[in-house]
Amino acid sequence: MNGLSQILKLTLREKKDVTLAIIFGMLAGLASVALLASSGYLISKAALTGQLTVLIVIGACLKLFGLASALSRYSERLFSHRATFTMLGNLRVSFFERLSPVAPELYGKYRSGDLLSRIIGDVESLQNFLLRVFYPPVVLLLVFTGTILFTLYFSIQTAILLAAGFLLTTVAVPAYFAWRRRRNDWRIRESRGALSAEATEFLYGFRDLKIYRQLTGKEQQLTALIDSYNEEQRKEGKEEVYSQSINALVAFLISLAILAMGAYFTAAGELDGLFLAMLVMISFGVFENIAPMAAFPGHFEESRKAAARLEEVVGEAPRHKKTGELPADPLSISVRNLSYTFPDEQRPALDGISLNLPAGSKTAIVGASGSGKSTLLSVLMDVLPAGEGEITFNGRDSVEFSQESIWSRMNVVLQENHFFYGTIRSNLQLADSAADDAQLTEALQKVELADFSLDMEVEEKGQNLSGGERQRLAIARAILKAGELWLLDEPVSSVDSATGQLIYERLFRNYPGGTFIIISHDLSGLHAMDQILVMENGRLIEQGTYEELLEQKGYFYGMKELEREILA
Amino acid sequence: MKDLKRLAFERKKAMSLLIAMSVLKGISMIGQAVFFVLAVDGVFIQDKSFAEIVPYLYALVATIIIRSASSYLIGRTGVNMAADVKKELRLKLVNSFKEDPLLSSAESPSGQKVGLLMDAVDETDGFFSKYIPQLMQSYVIPLLLLVAIVSQNWTTGLILLLTAPFIPVFMAIVGKRTKEKADEKVDQLNRFSGTFLDILQGLTTLRLFGQSDKQKEKIEKSSKDFRESTMDVLKSAFLSSLTLEYISMLSIGIIALEVGLRLVVFDNLSFFSAFFIMILVPDFFMMLKDFGSAFHSARGSLSAAQLLDEEFSKERTPVKWGETELAENRIPHIRLEDVGFSYNRNFALQQISFDIEAGKKIAIIGKSGSGKTTLLHIIAGLLPVKEGRILIEGKNREEISESSWFGHISYISQSPYLFAGTISENIAIGVTGVPSEEEIERAAMKAGLAQLIESLPAGYRTQVGEGGRGLSGGEKQRIALARAFLKKPAVVLFDEPTTGLDLKTEQILQQSIAELSRYATVITVAHRLHTIRNSDQIIYLEKGKVAAVGTHEELASDYETYRNLLPLQQGGALR
Repeated sequence: MNGLSQILKLTLREKKDVTLAIIFGMLAGLASVALLASSGYLISKAALTGQLTVLIVIGACLKLFGLASALSRYSERLFSHRATFTMLGNLRVSFFERLSPVAPELYGKYRSGDLLSRIIGDVESLQNFLLRVFYPPVVLLLVFTGTILFTLYFSIQTAILLAAGFLLTTVAVPAYFAWRRRRNDWRIRESRGALSAEATEFLYGFRDLKIYRQLTGKEQQLTALIDSYNEEQRKEGKEEVYSQSINALVAFLISLAILAMGAYFTAAGELDGLFLAMLVMISFGVFENIAPMAAFPGHFEESRKAAARLEEVVGEAPRHKKTGELPADPLSISVRNLSYTFPDEQRPALDGISLNLPAGSKTAIVGASGSGKSTLLSVLMDVLPAGEGEITFNGRDSVEFSQESIWSRMNVVLQENHFFYGTIRSNLQLADSAADDAQLTEALQKVELADFSLDMEVEEKGQNLSGGERQRLAIARAILKAGELWLLDEPVSSVDSATGQLIYERLFRNYPGGTFIIISHDLSGLHAMDQILVMENGRLIEQGTYEELLEQKGYFYGMKELEREILA
Repeated sequence: MKDLKRLAFERKKAMSLLIAMSVLKGISMIGQAVFFVLAVDGVFIQDKSFAEIVPYLYALVATIIIRSASSYLIGRTGVNMAADVKKELRLKLVNSFKEDPLLSSAESPSGQKVGLLMDAVDETDGFFSKYIPQLMQSYVIPLLLLVAIVSQNWTTGLILLLTAPFIPVFMAIVGKRTKEKADEKVDQLNRFSGTFLDILQGLTTLRLFGQSDKQKEKIEKSSKDFRESTMDVLKSAFLSSLTLEYISMLSIGIIALEVGLRLVVFDNLSFFSAFFIMILVPDFFMMLKDFGSAFHSARGSLSAAQLLDEEFSKERTPVKWGETELAENRIPHIRLEDVGFSYNRNFALQQISFDIEAGKKIAIIGKSGSGKTTLLHIIAGLLPVKEGRILIEGKNREEISESSWFGHISYISQSPYLFAGTISENIAIGVTGVPSEEEIERAAMKAGLAQLIESLPAGYRTQVGEGGRGLSGGEKQRIALARAFLKKPAVVLFDEPTTGLDLKTEQILQQSIAELSRYATVITVAHRLHTIRNSDQIIYLEKGKVAAVGTHEELASDYETYRNLLPLQQGGALR
């Protein structure tokens, strides 16, 4: 519920549009009631009198109410949708503000892209909150109040019945169905999850399934899950239809009760028969407005869950509260006994790592995929927390320093680097917004991308660039950042090796004071490094210079031999 | 649209039920109006006592229940139809995936297909659960209401007949305009919603570059722009509702005036008829308007249907199989005769011919893009032979049964797939029966997994795969080896890894392949000099054609291109 109240707060920030939407919603509802009321009255009156003027006056009223209802409905839609989109914008901004401090760690921890699409889906689904959850009951309350006040003048009993009808159709029935839905909802989500997982296995494991002749069995499982998901959906759909029908039935029965009561009092002479048709028409009119409440339980549950999930994502307090600034001197990094285990995994990804990265030194990290190289880099970058052990900068514990302060000194190239929709220029200027075209072009030249125009369009995620181009562009961006700590995770793995070596040499030559930490799967060219760290299963198993390691004839030597074996 | 409609109309039983229920609903609507009016007329005009109108009230209870029940049944039929169609679509999708040979050759099929199966199918729901039932009601009920109204006053019917057609006409005109506007802005709209995703995806980058604060404004601005554009489209949609609403209001007004005139001035209409008409006319227009909004909600289904249609209409060439069983415990002789294959891309394998004698070690080599892996997939029976043929023991493979063929082979890819389940289950997948624990453990031991598995708290019952413990690339390779050891295949197809394996797995892979090759033909897409040198026959591919066939020694002495491929062996400088 906490999540939803946050959303409500955001929604109500747009007071003007929300208020206008509610007012026009009320006017539209009341006008349609008035329209039916006047038509009921018109007929009754016309049945009794022969006066043409009455007819004309009421006929004019009819037109007036009709026009008013249509126009108010139009304005209502306009304002409520405006408010919704404004709210959605506010929601995005507020969510971004809260996600931003925890994002790198969150993304590092949950390595699947699933998290993001879920977040976006949840944010989008909250657009229904104002339109279909918050707004309909409020408008209904106002419309009913207005109608009840009007009928009070003619028949207190009708007013009471309308109030009861309001409570039943707008509060009791939707609440009951929302409660039922909440009880059953996990089943549909569970069966959906199971089907999606099974389908993923079927598609991604297709080849193995086929070769191991397991396809038929897997297909049967998949079919069974398709069936059960379908049945759950069917149940849900029927439930919605049921809730809709019950609500409509209740409304009709209330109208019937009003008729019965009115007829009774008319027959008893306590109610002027002239108003009977009008009162019946009023109840028809006012209950026409309850249609949106049938969808309320579904949207309410959906919004509640989306809000709760979003809250869960950003609810974690940011780990970092420290605001210390790194000293301006050249930085030496030292790691003692560092371990890290990913959530939900038993085996540590890093296990008792100790190492020194003196200022101005060049370090290479090598090892098999899955040996923990990238995780080590993430912990060094303070993107993942050090589980155990400590990292010190110039002898001071890294937890003293803010992430921003640490990152401002780092030039990072990750395995996957994000590029934004825009141009080469806008992407490079992320690193240095003050850089002029000459500086940007120079950076591009350093990574052998001189033929790129700064105005060239970059699509989402840089998908119009090749892997090698993206890597080089990321290096250019790091060059512009001009920090002194270079953390490079396989920065040239998709670049041909001659160009890769050229870029390395340039970096080393142009930034002699820089501290380089490079993850590499390519073992050639490592003789230029001051030290090489060899990782296996999260542990540091060898470290030393290129010559030392070859002399040891250990793991590194074996890797080198293997590389020699592999054909280009 | 047509496809979806066809799917609906094919379900004759459901459609007849919808029509029958719509008729019932229409009749109950009329009945309800009749009894309401009779009751009011009774006490108001005819001065009856309350007791006299009580039967009408009972009748009303009945009609109300019938109306609600028929509404419920209409909705329910729609839901059932949607569920049935979705099931049919999903099964059809699974079938078409199954027949797509490219699925087994792609290294990582896109998540798009999962999206088709889950989301696209779900999006068709609205068409069947909402639109079709509404369509049937809009066909049937207004007609019934019209008949009832005409029976009371034909001039009202005439007015309805004159004004009602404006509703669908305007709906079509304005709908088209809205759609044009939406199409016009669709790129713009996608861009806006993309911006948020783009920024969230790049949030780590933004933070590393200390730029995240600036993005707040960007999101604000793009949200505002998004709002303005969407409102523009929505405005025209709302305007269409306004028009519809106005038309129906106007008609109701005219009818009220007409009815009033007849009541007052001409005095040739009873209160009963007038009131009856005034109850039914709004219902009449409501039905038409509801159809408009249902039509709107069916839009999403249409684009989903288009996606599905694209998938269904993709051209597929499944691999052909026959009925003949291969002899058990016998390594087959394989012969490729002028085998050709092409994707729709600019790549083709052409005229591949060579013999693979039983029990030999074959290495397929060549530059990346030369078609090595594609050739391996064709030999494996994962991709169809488009030209030429493959002979197994002298028999065209198309005559051999699929199950018998796959019963004889193992394929160790660069990225073996782990299924959600225990390690034990993941190894057991190698055979179709249920292997004993000892057999699984022996296979794991041969694949160098025993030590690792025993070090885990849950041992062979450790959950792996999606939602389980992550295994490294090397460990996955070893699971694949264990599967092969369990299966004891006659033909092993092996896509040798290029990078990223640990030394131990490298060693185990070499030993294991040597072990497997004692009882099997081994065909390797080779990257290791060691593997190549140990092969009985090397197939050198160049641009989709066999450039040379021979042993290492033969090729090294006769074929210069091959020699150039081996600078490392000659102690040359590292790259």
